[in-house]
Amino acid sequence: MADAPTPAGTDSNIKEDLRAFALKSGALVMGVADAGAFTAAPEGKRPADYLPGAKSVVVMGGAQPRAADWQSPKYEHMEVSSTTDRIAALGNRVATHIERTYGYYALNVPQALDKGRQPFLSMSLAAELAGCGSASLAGPVLHSDYGFMYYSAVITTLPLAPDPQPETPACPAPQCVEMYDEIGKTPCMAVCPIEEDGCIGGTIENGRIASRRFDAARCTTRVQTYWVPGFQKAMEKLFEEDDRDRRRMILNSNLMTRTLWSMTYANISQGQCFECMRVCPVGAEKRQLR
Amino acid sequence: MPFFFVDPEIYRKYRDRVVAMSQSIQVNYPEHMPAERRQPGLSDEEIAKELGLDARTVSEIRCVAEREFYDVDEWEKAVEFKDRQCRGYADRGLSFTTKKYFDAKKAEKG
Repeated sequence: MADAPTPAGTDSNIKEDLRAFALKSGALVMGVADAGAFTAAPEGKRPADYLPGAKSVVVMGGAQPRAADWQSPKYEHMEVSSTTDRIAALGNRVATHIERTYGYYALNVPQALDKGRQPFLSMSLAAELAGCGSASLAGPVLHSDYGFMYYSAVITTLPLAPDPQPETPACPAPQCVEMYDEIGKTPCMAVCPIEEDGCIGGTIENGRIASRRFDAARCTTRVQTYWVPGFQKAMEKLFEEDDRDRRRMILNSNLMTRTLWSMTYANISQGQCFECMRVCPVGAEKRQLR
Repeated sequence: MPFFFVDPEIYRKYRDRVVAMSQSIQVNYPEHMPAERRQPGLSDEEIAKELGLDARTVSEIRCVAEREFYDVDEWEKAVEFKDRQCRGYADRGLSFTTKKYFDAKKAEKG
């Protein structure tokens, strides 16, 4: 990675300034990935495709559900409170700071969907490459101290040294390996088993993930129950229904109503299922309060 | 420019193959897996090349097929699943989920 001089100092003290700024702004972790390292992403979905001349991707993690959110017996609470708006705002702050303070382009990657219902940039890949965590059996990137987090990524022409990726992945946690050896399942696999109408499957060998299966289509029905996919499903039923009274029932149904509420009070992504993360031991001690 | 959508005949002909080649069901997808085990799904461009279609058509087929993969009943099941698991965890913690597997293992051991 280039170590080019910049108007405001050396590469390492800029990075530390950015880290301090990000943490002060609410991030739990910050890391840097080499913009050229996104070879696992398809062409057209790499940093330089969005910002020509991109050198670095600054990744911030945070905006987790709070400890009390995990304790609530009412899942509907997290369906509407766990969103990407806070982490997106954090990305905007850091991008603005880079442009104003250091004079380099900085593009905050949108949290929404690009064409083909694909993310603009894989936040998971960015977080992994920036050393902010590692992929899990359940899917989300997990940080060894904080577990599940939301991420934002800022693509910039500012050259920064990339951070190393963790040597030991956070998943599977030692207690998950122990449980897998005993019953052939980790907590996330047990809560949402792919062979029993769930989303997650896999195997562990020598304490590491050896294979993984994930039903993304079913996960969508749980994570985006009351969101664009739910709206499309309800609309399909509505159009198919010839009977006027039955159409009214569908139009005013719970699925349609809650979906419209979700879509209209937020233009941001909402995570609406957390059951695999609720039982995840990574970072669990931070979810235990009095 | 007219509104672009896929001809239903084309959709029916290619749907299953597009879904199978895409990342809708991910098998050994994560980037960190050993190269010899990793089987990431193909991008729309790669699928298009394999099937002799254009990428826009593949993308539209995939978007429709992913949404049609499960019927709206699965949305209802999702609500039941979340309610059951969330209340169960609040009541009994992790054992709500894992007890049946430990019990089955005990029974197996006799």
